[in-house]
Amino acid sequence: MLEVRHLSLRYPSGTQALAGFDAVVRPGELVIVLGGNGSGKTTLLRCISRTLAPDAGEVRVNGTDLTRLTGEKLRRARLDLAVISQHAALVRRRSVLANVATGALGRHPTLWTALGGLPAAELVAAERYLGEVGLAHLARQRAGTLSGGQAQRVAIARALAQRPRVLLADEPVASLDPEAAEDIMRLLRRLAAEENLAVLCVLHQVELAYRYADRVVGIREGRVAFDLPREEVSRDAVRRLYLSEAA
Amino acid sequence: MSSSVVPQGGKAREGGWSGLLGSAGKLAVMLAVPLIIVQSLIVVQARPQDLITGIHGMADIIRRATPPDFSQIDSMFWPALETIDIAIFGTIAGVIMALPLAVLAAANVTPSRPLYYVARGVIGFTRAVPDLVWALFFVTAVGLGPFPGGLALAVHSIGMLGRLFAETIEHMDMAPIDALALTGARRLQIFTHGVVPTVLPSLLGISLYRLDENIRASLVLGFVGAGGIGFQLLTAMNLFQYRTVSLLLILTFVIVLSAERLSAALRAKLA
Repeated sequence: MLEVRHLSLRYPSGTQALAGFDAVVRPGELVIVLGGNGSGKTTLLRCISRTLAPDAGEVRVNGTDLTRLTGEKLRRARLDLAVISQHAALVRRRSVLANVATGALGRHPTLWTALGGLPAAELVAAERYLGEVGLAHLARQRAGTLSGGQAQRVAIARALAQRPRVLLADEPVASLDPEAAEDIMRLLRRLAAEENLAVLCVLHQVELAYRYADRVVGIREGRVAFDLPREEVSRDAVRRLYLSEAA
Repeated sequence: MSSSVVPQGGKAREGGWSGLLGSAGKLAVMLAVPLIIVQSLIVVQARPQDLITGIHGMADIIRRATPPDFSQIDSMFWPALETIDIAIFGTIAGVIMALPLAVLAAANVTPSRPLYYVARGVIGFTRAVPDLVWALFFVTAVGLGPFPGGLALAVHSIGMLGRLFAETIEHMDMAPIDALALTGARRLQIFTHGVVPTVLPSLLGISLYRLDENIRASLVLGFVGAGGIGFQLLTAMNLFQYRTVSLLLILTFVIVLSAERLSAALRAKLA
C-alpha cells in the first residue's frame, strides 16, 4: 500500500510545487493522477520515489516512511517501489531478457552481479515477466531494436522483476500511438489486479483515465482537487483542472 | 519623416562602424598570416637552396640503400615483433589504468568531486608529457630494451585514453542509468550493468585506434633505446648500413599499414 500524507515541496526558485498533497493507493488498485502542466504531478512522483526530498509530509510504502530514510536504508526500502517513465530507458545494447533481469539486481548484492553477471533464477523469472507483458518471443533481441510500445512493455517487465508492492508510472504512454497507449493501460490495469500491485499513474490523456482508472485524483497547484472513483468524476471537474493552464 | 530618417541614419552609422571594424579585422588577418609564415621561416632557418645542393647527397644515400638487404629479414623478425608487442603492452596497460581514472574523471558518474579533480590532473599530466620523454625517463629507470618502451606508451596512453573514455562516459544516455538506480541496484552494479554495456563499443573503438597510434609511436621509441625496429634503425644509420635501413623502412611501412587496416576494420565492425 502507498500512503502519501501532507506532502509539500517548495523549489529554491520559490515555486510551491506540492502543498499538502494526500493520497492512498491500495494493493490491486490503479489510481490515475490528472492535472495541468506545472500542477505538481511529476514532482509528486519524484518525491514519492525520493529522487526529490520533500520539505514536509510522509510517503509510506507498506508502512515504511521513505522520507525519513537515507543511504542504504532508503535503497532497501526503494526495492518495494518500482518506477516507469515516459521513456523506457533500456540499455539498448543488451538483450531484452538481460534488461528485464536487471530489475532484480537490488535484491542480489553479490560479487557475480557486481561483475556484470545475472543470477540464473532471475533470468528464468525475467522470461516469465516478459511472457506477462506478451514479449517472450523477443527475449533474445537487442533492446535497441524494439518499437516504442514494445520498449515500454519491457520497462514494465523490468519493474515487475523488481517484485515491487507499488508501481509509479510517470506518463507511461506519452510517447506512444493511441493503440500502443491503450495496450499499456490495459496491461497496467491487469497487473494491478493480478499482481496485487498498488499502481499510481500520472497521465495527460483524460479519456484513458475514464476507461482504466479505479480512482482518479485531480491535482491543481500541488493540492488534491478531487479524489473519486472514475464513475463519479465529472467532465466539469476535469475541465477545471486545466483552466489555470489555459488562462 | 524625420523620425524615419534618424533610425536609418543610425543604422547606416552602425553598419558603417561594423563594416569598418570588419575591414580592419580582415586587413589585420591579411597582414598577420604572411608575418607568421615569415617568422617561422626565419626561426627554422629555412634554406631551400640547400635542398638543391644536397640533392647529390640524397641521391647517394638512395643509391647506397638499394636494393634493400632482404638477406637480413630473418634477423629483423624479432625487432618487428618487439615493436608490435611494445604497442600491445602499452595499449593494454594504458586501457587498464585509464578506465578507472576515466570513471573518476567523468562528471556524471564520479563518486566525489576531489577524486574528479585528481583524476583529471593525472590524465592531463600523462597526456602533456610526450611518449618520447616518458621513454627517456623509463630507460633511465629500468634500463635499455622494450620494457621501458612499453611503460612509456602505457603511461602516455593513460592520458590520451583517459580523456576520450571520460568524454564518452559523459556523453552517454543517462536515462538507463537513472532507471537502474531507481530499481535499488548498487553503484557497482549500475556501472557494470548500465554504464559498461552502453559505452563498451565506443571504448573498444578508441582502444583499437590507440593501438594503431602506439604501433607508430613504438617505432620511434627505439631511437632512445626503448627496443624494437627503431633501435635497429638507429644502429643501422649510425653504421651507414643503408641497405639495412631501407629494409627496416619497408618493414615499418608494412607494419603501420597492416595495423591501420586491421584497426579500421575492427572499429567498423564495432560501429
